[in-house]
Amino acid sequence: MKRIVAITLALAITLSLLFTLTACGKKKTTASATSIAVCLASEPDTIDPALNSAVDGATLLAHLFSGLAKWSQDDSGKLQIVPDAAKELVKGVENEDGTVTYTYTIRDGFKWSDGKALTANDFAFAWQRAASLELAADYGYMFEVIDGYDKVTEADDEGNAINPDAKLNVEAVDEKTLKVTLANAISYWDELLAFPTYYPVREDVVANESWATDPKTYVSNGMYTLDSWEHDSVITLKKNPDHPDADEVTMDTIEFYLSDDANNQLANFQNGDWLLIDDVPTDEIATLKADYPDEFFNVGQIGTYYVCWNVNEDILPKGSTLTGVEAENARAEIRNAVSLLIDRNYIVNEIAQGGQLPASSFVAMGLTDADGTEFYKNTGYSDKFVGYFDTSEDALESNFNAAVEVLKKYYTYDEATKKFTDFPAMTYLYNTSEGHKAIGEYIQAAFAAVGINMSMENQEWNTFLNTRKKGDYSIARNGWLADYNDPICFLDMWTSGSGNNDIQFGKGAHEKVAAYSLDLTSLGYDTKVENATWAETYDVLISTIKSCTDTAKRYKMMHMAEDMLMKSGCVTPIYYYTDLYMLSSKVSGFFSNPLGYKYFMYCTVKD
Amino acid sequence: MDSKTALYIVKRVLLAVFTVWVVITVTFFVMHFVPGGPFDSEKAPSAAIKAAMEKKFNLDKPLFTQYTDYLKDIVTKFDFGPSLKKRGRTVVDIISDGMGTSAKLGLIAAAAATVCGIVLGSIAALRRNKIIDRVIMIITTAFVSMPSFIIGSILLILFSIKYKVFPANGSTAEGLVLPIITLALYPTAYITRLTRSSMLDVLGQDYIRTAKAKGVSSKNVIFGHALKNSLIPVLTYVGPMLAYIVTGSLVVEKIFAVPGIGRAFVNSITGRDYPLIMGTTIILATLIVLMNLITDILYKVVDPRISFD
Repeated sequence: MKRIVAITLALAITLSLLFTLTACGKKKTTASATSIAVCLASEPDTIDPALNSAVDGATLLAHLFSGLAKWSQDDSGKLQIVPDAAKELVKGVENEDGTVTYTYTIRDGFKWSDGKALTANDFAFAWQRAASLELAADYGYMFEVIDGYDKVTEADDEGNAINPDAKLNVEAVDEKTLKVTLANAISYWDELLAFPTYYPVREDVVANESWATDPKTYVSNGMYTLDSWEHDSVITLKKNPDHPDADEVTMDTIEFYLSDDANNQLANFQNGDWLLIDDVPTDEIATLKADYPDEFFNVGQIGTYYVCWNVNEDILPKGSTLTGVEAENARAEIRNAVSLLIDRNYIVNEIAQGGQLPASSFVAMGLTDADGTEFYKNTGYSDKFVGYFDTSEDALESNFNAAVEVLKKYYTYDEATKKFTDFPAMTYLYNTSEGHKAIGEYIQAAFAAVGINMSMENQEWNTFLNTRKKGDYSIARNGWLADYNDPICFLDMWTSGSGNNDIQFGKGAHEKVAAYSLDLTSLGYDTKVENATWAETYDVLISTIKSCTDTAKRYKMMHMAEDMLMKSGCVTPIYYYTDLYMLSSKVSGFFSNPLGYKYFMYCTVKD
Repeated sequence: MDSKTALYIVKRVLLAVFTVWVVITVTFFVMHFVPGGPFDSEKAPSAAIKAAMEKKFNLDKPLFTQYTDYLKDIVTKFDFGPSLKKRGRTVVDIISDGMGTSAKLGLIAAAAATVCGIVLGSIAALRRNKIIDRVIMIITTAFVSMPSFIIGSILLILFSIKYKVFPANGSTAEGLVLPIITLALYPTAYITRLTRSSMLDVLGQDYIRTAKAKGVSSKNVIFGHALKNSLIPVLTYVGPMLAYIVTGSLVVEKIFAVPGIGRAFVNSITGRDYPLIMGTTIILATLIVLMNLITDILYKVVDPRISFD
């Protein structure tokens, strides 16, 4: 027995030493003038351009691939879309049927990382693949603007394509020429060309389903190649010397470390190993801002944090005699009044603390209007403030009083306690997170001040999504980030049939509620309905916007759509998102875009 | 090995297989009944895309058919299926990647904990109520009651941020030192306390007194009699501890950015990545069942009086 114990001990010690020694041969995190180590998030689910739907994945792809267009920063720091693999971003030619055709020429000198030449067919193939039901990509809908998309994605209940031979209207005329036809003119087409889902892939490469998981099979055409991928640990990109624009690239090696823990990211930033981190611990924001004034950044991100109301939840007091249109209008008025009880400045300054801006509209800050100004600044009904209500601190009291006056019309108000006594109890649904909880608790307290009782319920992410989608809630936390710079991506989600219509517009009891009007006659359409349902108004409005080719009219209708949405009171905007990150002052040449993609190719690092 | 022992082992192996099958069955059906699916996201895919994805991964088939297909694939082809979230990667691929790191970390931590724990525990028992015993007891009480996220965070702040001795990410060998220490501290403290009390118990036994009375050297009393017999409770703990420790710790992996299996386990559940949930659960269940079996057999080696009847 003595021997057994001795042998076991010796074995254990030897094994430990052996493991430590073998492991010691590996490389160390390095930072030099031509190499940078950064951390955006944990391991991306995929780095196949067609399948990726994450912002960190998009950053990796923007380094690995060259699409027809790309985001670029000019000398003044202004962001713009410029040609990349295309010789120029041509203007479309309108066809007789209203469709628009673009013909692009591929620039000379582009090669895949295995040496083969990039052809127009690689784009045509990639787009057909990404839009296909067979691939079933999250972002397949990014191709809905291309003629033929509807046919391609038409499916029966079991997911079988109804038109298996249907194709998008895109073709490679020859090796260098790509022709694509859009269903109608859109203002954000060039931006779509810079979107990762639109990057080219080669047919023989992606025939291997696992091609995008291993550097040996990963063939790309961008400024960088995938050098190594230690799963869940680090992805290393090396500069591609054969890229036509390789001369502009200053950074030779980029190491993307993979960590999903904000505290860990911060520790690696503080000890100097990682020079950019894309997440910081919420409760440290105030300290970090003070301690790292030159290295803490918050930049605008196109997105809105909001609270959504279930349109089918009856919030009228028990015994209310209102019915039909009157009841729906009353509910809308109540929801809008309750929204005024929330002090958004308190939420952004004391809770979120990330430089967010109080929101007074659903379509986020950062989206442009027809005339190039900011869309959100042209919303609402008053010239005195921006948006649908005044979010300034000065307006806090008047907002509160106005809300109480409206609520008094429908509920019993106890003057002694200054509280409403018969507002039905509500439950605030949120997904498990300290930040969401804190905001929920503040709203709960703000409502309680006037006697509105709201309890809190938290659910784990996927359960939460499911509950919200099914409409099993009264009021819930919500958020939306734009995919591209066009307000339609905030508005088409509220049509009756949309999968993101968590408010349940046009569903359940609301399907039959005829409380809405739409008049497009002043814009040259013959649509004019009164006291109609959501499907007869909002859905019609959105489909008209989607087929409209006149930019001014289109934007006017998008403002009308947001007016309808905000009038319903079902969206209570809280703040516009910001993108927080920390960037070492040693780094220069870095930029990011409003979608949150980060660009390291033109960076240099001071020793 | 006598026939009784062989029969016992065969019986236990069969029972182990049965246990793992029960775990597979229960997990399979429970996870499908939990609300939410693998293709849910803030930006919902269209109904057609969702249906196409379900068809692609055979989630459109009746649940029982999916279950029998799954069992068939495991038994006949050792095929645990593709991950639904990490497109292009298989469950076996993800688990073997993560297990590599977690096992390395876990084995070193477990070995260190066992060796240190037994040595410290024995010293404490033999120097009972002396200063060294007191010191060991105070330190181990602290480590037993301190959760690993606190120990991990303290180590991180001290050695990664303040003194910059070790990196704060587990992508390099140096980066694994702090996670190993964090992982090892709790079991070390526990084994120390276990060994101490068990050894004190043994040292008070009649046969020890007899051995001492017969003039056996104290070295022989301790190593020949006392230590051997006081290891039985330690064995009971070390077996399952090893199974848990090598299958990864979410907390330690998160704090130190270690590419282990613990994160895959938790993320698979939150993301409803059904094949990965099954794969990680099966691995954990099998390891625990196996370690319990080995522990039981080792009892007999340590103490021949234990009978397998």
